[in-house]
Amino acid sequence: MLTHVSQGAVADRMSGQDRPPGTDFNPDAAWFAENRPAFGQGTLALRVGPLRFALEGLSSRQRDRLLSQYRPFLEEKATGPADLSVRLTRAGRESFLQLQDAGTEVYRMPTRRDADARRWWSYEFAGSFATDRRTAELALVEEEGPRFERGSENFLRAMTAGFIQARGGMLLHGAAVVRGGRAYVFFGPSGSGKTTVTRFSQRDLVLSDDLTLLVPAPRGFQAAGIPFGMAHHHVPDSNEAFPIAGLHRLVQSSDVRRERVAGAAALAEVVASLPFVLDGDVDPRPAVENAARLVATTPLWRLHFRKDDAFWDVIEER
Amino acid sequence: MDLTTVLTKSPDAAHRTYDGQATIVLPSRAQVSVLNEIGSAIWERIDGRRTLAEILDGILAEYDITREKALGDLQAFVTDLKTQGMVS
Repeated sequence: MLTHVSQGAVADRMSGQDRPPGTDFNPDAAWFAENRPAFGQGTLALRVGPLRFALEGLSSRQRDRLLSQYRPFLEEKATGPADLSVRLTRAGRESFLQLQDAGTEVYRMPTRRDADARRWWSYEFAGSFATDRRTAELALVEEEGPRFERGSENFLRAMTAGFIQARGGMLLHGAAVVRGGRAYVFFGPSGSGKTTVTRFSQRDLVLSDDLTLLVPAPRGFQAAGIPFGMAHHHVPDSNEAFPIAGLHRLVQSSDVRRERVAGAAALAEVVASLPFVLDGDVDPRPAVENAARLVATTPLWRLHFRKDDAFWDVIEER
Repeated sequence: MDLTTVLTKSPDAAHRTYDGQATIVLPSRAQVSVLNEIGSAIWERIDGRRTLAEILDGILAEYDITREKALGDLQAFVTDLKTQGMVS
């Protein structure tokens, strides 16, 4: 009578490398209330789908790096007020969470609501979003490098997920490829084949191989990329949004076919692929309502595919 | 399980029913579940007021199923829901 659709983790696995296991530091409200210095005085404005983010407190090196990395998403001149202004500060610590064993573990990112803000923290950052002011502080353990990128982008991904949900959309754990002016979305948990699908779509515009923004539009939903690719995921060449041709839940298989999924099963597949907004004490109802509107307006299939480009013949019905 | 038991859906669970099938989302367990038609019919009747006996009567009135089979399925299903934290 009851079938579980497991929720896929979007986070990377963390490698223990040569670090010994240690004790987590879980920052309390008093820690978040402390004043911390910014890295510098640099700013930049980003437009991600319908969302506007302002990053503040950047050092010149951080700003130069992000100007290059986020180029298609930059707003040279802000065209409106930011939905969220994020101030980057020096954490003054070497880490927050610690790897719990010497091998690998799934990236942990606890969240908690305090009286005036929602907090997130992980190995290399602690972030705080003041719900009434649309401002956030992101305290990072390093100024640049992989730990800076992973910490800042995971926080910004969580922010993106929350803000797009408030606009009726969602951040889906899925890849998106634009062909013929329409976006084909391929989703599923880590290891399901999202990056593989984009590798067999090299002549098309790849919006993402990991996380895709789904935005409500007058006629159904549109797909757009996000710039927060954490170095090893594809950062799109465009911040345009495209109408969605279909949603495909990836299933690796020896044959290539697709079957239509509708109703409760379709809703479950989408909700199981929504990172960040269904963690712990977060109210799941807005995410479920948005996903229900998506599956009511957008066809969803389970796509059985193997590692070649034959899946395109199936989904384009050639 | 005693048929006079009255169950309540977990306040943490978000749920939606399409064409007689329910999807239940329970973030505290990072779990998304889909119920079949009879499971969904039972889920819809769990409202903090009906007893299991009343839910059983409703299922018998709606579906062509023996009382013995329906009772066994109901008890197993409700036990599963409790184990999963979907009802209390």
